[in-house]
Amino acid sequence: MHMKKYTYIIGLFLVSTFGSCTKFVDFNPQENYEITADNYFKTAEDYQKMTIGVYSPMQWLWAVPVIGEIASDNSVSGGENATDNIPLQQIDDYQIVANNGQLTEIWKACYEGINRANYLEENKAKLEFTGKTALYGEVYFLRAYYYFELVKMFGGVPLFTTKRLSVGDSKKFQRANKADVYTQIENDLIAAIAALPLTNSQQGRATKYAAQALLGKVYLYQDKFTEAAAMLENVVTGPFSLVTNYGNIFLQAGENGSESVFEVQYSNASPFYDWSNPGRGQGNLAVQICGIRNLTGTSPYASGWSTNLPTANLAAAFAAGDTRKAVTVLDIEAYKTANAGMNITYMVAPYKNTGLYNQKYLPRVGQTSGQVELNYLNNYRAIRYADVLLMAAEANNRMATPNDVKALQYLNRVRDRAFGDILHRSTATGTALKTAIWDERRLELGMEGQRFFDLVRTGQAASKITGWVANKNEVFPIPQAEVDISGLTQNPGYN
Amino acid sequence: MKFKFTLFCVGLLMACFIQQAAAQTLQVSGTVKSKSTAEPLAGATVSVVGTAKATQTDAKGNFTIGITKGGTLSISYTGFKSYKYVVNQAGTIQVSLEDLNTLMNEVVVVGYGTQKITKISGAISTVKGADIERLKPVRAEDALQGRASGVTVVSTGSPGAKPTVLIRGIPSYTGTDPVVVVDGSIQSLDDLNSINAADIESVNVLKDAATTAIYGVKGGNGVIVVTTKSGKKNQKTEVNYSSNFGNQQVLNTIGVLNATEYAAMLNEGSVASGGAILFPNLSTLGVGTNWQDQIFKNAGLASHSLTARGGSDNMAYFVSGAYTGQGGIVGGADKSYFNRYNATANLNVDLSKRLKATVNTSFVNIRSASVPENAINSVISNALNFDPTVPVYNNVAGTYGKYSVSNTILSEIFNPLTQLDDSHNQYNTNKSYGKLELQYQLLKNLKVSSRYGYTNTDVTGKAFTPLSFYGTGHINSTLNADGTTKVGAHNNVYEVKTSYYNYTLENFANYNFNINTDHHFETVLGMAMAKVTGNSVSGSRQDVPFNSWDFADISSATGTAPNSGLDVGSYQYERRNLSYFTRIDYDYKDKYLASFSARRDGSFAFGANNKFGNFFAGSLGWVVSDEEFFKVNFIDYLKLRGSFGITGNENVNPQFQRISTLTYAYNLGQNAGYTFGNDPTSIGATIASFKNEDLGWEKQQQLNAGFDLNFANSKFSLTADYFEKQISGLLFTPSLSLYLGTAAAPTANIGTTKTSGFDLNLGYNNAVGKNWKVSSNLTFTTAKNEVTETNNGLITGGNYGIPNQSVTRFEKGQSPGYFYGFKTVGIFQNTAEIAAAPTQANAVPGDIRFADINGDGLISDLDRTKIGDPFPTFTMGWSLNLTYKAFDFNTFIYASVGNDIYRAYERNLAMTNKYRGVLARWTGEGSTNDPRNPRYSFTDANQNTRVSDRYVEDGSFLKIKDVQLGYTLPTTTLKRLGVSKVRLYAQVKNAFVFTKYSGFDPEISGGIFDTGIDRGAYPQARTWSFGLDVKF
Repeated sequence: MHMKKYTYIIGLFLVSTFGSCTKFVDFNPQENYEITADNYFKTAEDYQKMTIGVYSPMQWLWAVPVIGEIASDNSVSGGENATDNIPLQQIDDYQIVANNGQLTEIWKACYEGINRANYLEENKAKLEFTGKTALYGEVYFLRAYYYFELVKMFGGVPLFTTKRLSVGDSKKFQRANKADVYTQIENDLIAAIAALPLTNSQQGRATKYAAQALLGKVYLYQDKFTEAAAMLENVVTGPFSLVTNYGNIFLQAGENGSESVFEVQYSNASPFYDWSNPGRGQGNLAVQICGIRNLTGTSPYASGWSTNLPTANLAAAFAAGDTRKAVTVLDIEAYKTANAGMNITYMVAPYKNTGLYNQKYLPRVGQTSGQVELNYLNNYRAIRYADVLLMAAEANNRMATPNDVKALQYLNRVRDRAFGDILHRSTATGTALKTAIWDERRLELGMEGQRFFDLVRTGQAASKITGWVANKNEVFPIPQAEVDISGLTQNPGYN
Repeated sequence: MKFKFTLFCVGLLMACFIQQAAAQTLQVSGTVKSKSTAEPLAGATVSVVGTAKATQTDAKGNFTIGITKGGTLSISYTGFKSYKYVVNQAGTIQVSLEDLNTLMNEVVVVGYGTQKITKISGAISTVKGADIERLKPVRAEDALQGRASGVTVVSTGSPGAKPTVLIRGIPSYTGTDPVVVVDGSIQSLDDLNSINAADIESVNVLKDAATTAIYGVKGGNGVIVVTTKSGKKNQKTEVNYSSNFGNQQVLNTIGVLNATEYAAMLNEGSVASGGAILFPNLSTLGVGTNWQDQIFKNAGLASHSLTARGGSDNMAYFVSGAYTGQGGIVGGADKSYFNRYNATANLNVDLSKRLKATVNTSFVNIRSASVPENAINSVISNALNFDPTVPVYNNVAGTYGKYSVSNTILSEIFNPLTQLDDSHNQYNTNKSYGKLELQYQLLKNLKVSSRYGYTNTDVTGKAFTPLSFYGTGHINSTLNADGTTKVGAHNNVYEVKTSYYNYTLENFANYNFNINTDHHFETVLGMAMAKVTGNSVSGSRQDVPFNSWDFADISSATGTAPNSGLDVGSYQYERRNLSYFTRIDYDYKDKYLASFSARRDGSFAFGANNKFGNFFAGSLGWVVSDEEFFKVNFIDYLKLRGSFGITGNENVNPQFQRISTLTYAYNLGQNAGYTFGNDPTSIGATIASFKNEDLGWEKQQQLNAGFDLNFANSKFSLTADYFEKQISGLLFTPSLSLYLGTAAAPTANIGTTKTSGFDLNLGYNNAVGKNWKVSSNLTFTTAKNEVTETNNGLITGGNYGIPNQSVTRFEKGQSPGYFYGFKTVGIFQNTAEIAAAPTQANAVPGDIRFADINGDGLISDLDRTKIGDPFPTFTMGWSLNLTYKAFDFNTFIYASVGNDIYRAYERNLAMTNKYRGVLARWTGEGSTNDPRNPRYSFTDANQNTRVSDRYVEDGSFLKIKDVQLGYTLPTTTLKRLGVSKVRLYAQVKNAFVFTKYSGFDPEISGGIFDTGIDRGAYPQARTWSFGLDVKF
């Protein structure tokens, strides 16, 4: 019959049926205009973009300096009531549990930064280009910055440096020794110092001085005073100078000024409005939270959430004539009285009111955009020249063969600026000088996030902080989620 | 499985004419009709058995044939049971052939073929077109509720909205929608909004692995097979017109405080928290305004459908046109509606003796609008929480607005009538779908088919948010009291255009053969390629002229504000599958049944290491009643069935390592930009997501055991099935170490779940006396779900309220989507009780006492536990159809038992209105110990409003879903008008609800995490309607 024809039809049918190309179910993300890792690390620009990405998570760390104050004797949590921002309330009250949202966020942000840095490390060999060495200097600086934040907050943490972790690396790491983390930080900073230029045309980028200052600080935190003194000396003799008017440092015009060694850059130029991740944009949320509630009138300040309120104890620490007092703490009632023409009205802080506000970082009119609460442009002054001077002073005073002359000189440079004269110079030596330097740090760097870490570092926490418990509160608890998922050992006292 | 085994009877009337007879040819003439419709059958074959002699009936069903005395006459017609008759006399006979569809020989549409129902050894539920047509649902799923055993449908009141549909429990959280196959073309549950109920011939629900495995990776959630009507060859044109007009209204309202009660309660709450008396004079307030009475409106429901079917020698057709329009009862038909126009043409053409073509084409236009619903800012939520002391209309001279504002509620909640006035949106959907199919009869038993099924959908939408005034101090006001625009405020308009195009190309061969006459084989082998695509472009602008919907268009709006989210956006996606499949059905003498199916599926979504998966299933059946030894008179038919097999689920997107260069990625919560000094933002880049090359499908193993039983002269039929499903490789976002950073975690195959349950269907069909006909059907569905592994991960959902609280969880050791929160154990009556109880921070007498579940002496988050389950323990449906002479009465009752509801519509703010339960609050020691009624105070240091069983109610219900009374006009009078049947009826849908739930409607649909959470869900309306069915 028509057998041939049938065979032909059947053959065609079978070919069309089973010969179909299995490529039909392959997926290339480019179909959806998605950029993937395969498209990257082909030009110098790719490396530069990736490096910018390493900077971003520093902006998410707005809560570190806030905690550095609230956990100390400098400020209280405040807020609307006892249940407003519970993570900060717990820290203020020393009722800290491992399931603390702010601590978890800091942990995640630091590790995001580290992974972003490691991704550049992973792809380092793929391309050579002009400026690569300096660019990697920034990467190492940033990785050191993130690890230092972690080690300050949590002690020894999981340590990895070669590649961006992937899903398969989940649960593979345990906590490294604190000493090993510090060694890695030092190595990164030494590499960064070797690679970085003295200045960078773009403000806010890491420089050799920033790396030296951070390394000095890292040494200081390990009581390596001789190394710290030598390292900080590079910065002390660098191109920095103290700003004559202390208050100007914290104005928008004072950002990245002559005293600025390293600042975390915040901006209102790309406003965002994601309330589910309010600290993850380019604005500084620490500014909004410390504002005065329902503030009206013609003052330069904008209203906020009455959190991180300076204590009377801090205000009282300033000597008469110290210009830093008014810059550090704003007594709103006194300010209102003194500036009757501004027609100020405000709501008294409803919880833990001290009547005082963090003037250095108070939200200011016109310095935010978009969703106004989330987009304040105020940079975080991470390392100021004054801080370097005081660190250098402390290192010189405490090193094996102290140089109190130098220490005193550096301390008094700071005091001269503070009082606007040379009549308030310290003449202390030895232990008295050490204490004087420590006290000066509180006054010079008040509300800048140093206090708690300084108190712990210098062994003063137990005597200065109510509720602080030795052998426990030196560090914060490892986030409970990380303990649960990765099986990390919890810090003592937090189980 | 649902079939009727009607009384075995063929009507034969013969007019007897006694004739002399001896080896002579007798002339027999007669008329052949369909027994069910009484329509003449044209083209029926009338043949003399054992000879070549045969003829066909003419258009009126008449025939004449000569036959030797004592010879056997055979009368046959496709789709009907043939009839044989020994002729001893000449004369005229009337033959009524029995429609096979009403018999055990009924054919069920399964994957890539059809099967006689008697030969099926898998588990299938069937709902007939007639039942669907009678109900006249807006969406076809509504007809499955309670009618198809094994299927749980949670309907919604929102016009045209998709209900929750679960086939045999909840295997996964990633998506539980069954796949929908319309005339062989794969669609989705969303597409069921487009099918005209009158076009549906039948809906089969494939439940077990034996029937779904041939759909492989798409079959995991069950398969809904919709078969639309087609014509029959040589069929006289039959025209049906049906029309239905109804009026919908809300069934009940929720008890909230009236103005006086509200003011008194606020006074108490304010004083208790150290504040002042807020309403010094209660006597002037009266009952005030109940906003529920203001927002609920009567809304119309109308449908018209005109269909025609018929056929000639080599073609058959079905054409239809229909309109369905449903208004919403919240705000009325102006504000929410679903209006649909359908046009369908299904053609079957014999291109040659061997080549057949089927062309199904449907065009659908849907216009719809909606109001904010089932959310914190829904109209219903506002109506329940808004200030009852203010009048409906604005009576403050010189202020803006038609409706009044509250001077005490200053954020988030506003006058629901203003909100309705401000709700402006409109969506227009044009959709065409259908298939093109060619069948070639290669050999007598070998048929090859090629089918191209497609769905093309274009949606255009627009929404407008006007400037509005909600009160002078209200933070959401964008206008000042005098109607001027607030500084920095803007209205905005949003437009979107989305297109979807899906196709499935399938080539397959069906080969049927017998070995030794008693071994029957039916086989199919084929392949399929499927593609699902979508793309969308949207944009927003602000400053619409005149603040008016009439001018709301991007072309007229002048302002751009990308930093406020008014931006342009687009997306596109594509999903592809490549599959090979086969099935072999075998039976021995229709008594021993076996079936085996296999599918090899490739999905573009899976990782490179796991592109293809194989799925197998097998089933066995045994018709016990056909055995010689089986002699139970009471039982007419008994079949035992069992099946086992594997299906899958691919509800996942490809996981790859994406690089983001966004300054801020909203879905991720991370940025990659950084602004150096005052330089413009530098664009950075970062990895935004992880990849998972091993990603595969969720694999389901399902075991099914069941039986079909007909008894008491087949008046009763019972189908029962037990199933067990084990799901492994559940697509799950794993809990990754936090030190991996913040890139989006990929989906991985992690979890396992277990589901088991029973499906039962009991049918009764009888004619009592000459005038009464009774048919009734009872279904019973139960499924027990348990999550057995999640790798320590859990997923939370069911968020509500401000601040946001989460109620539901998907967690190991629990049923999916269970309610999670605190258990209450009473109310603290005095300070001594508080001191003696486990430490509960900030509790004072009158506060709720929570249970210390973990026994650590401290009430903390660790004490949260299971407080409810939104999914029913079982559901039942009962239908009753009674016919007495020309009258018919139909009712359908649906019950759901064991489903809990979480009451989440209360805002619990100081100034919001409250649920009446607050009147029974604790007022002093001994006043009450009911934890639902703690003391009332503005401040709530004890967090009495935390997620707890205080808000959980038993949502079990029994609904009289449908009551219908119909009258069919006498045919004799109509015949002269050319009309063959006219039926008039009155119908009430959702006539009564029996439930303990205090809210509007205990049916609250949503996904796995949102079902049963009442945030002000859109209640189903009671619908009164009248209708007319006419057949020409």
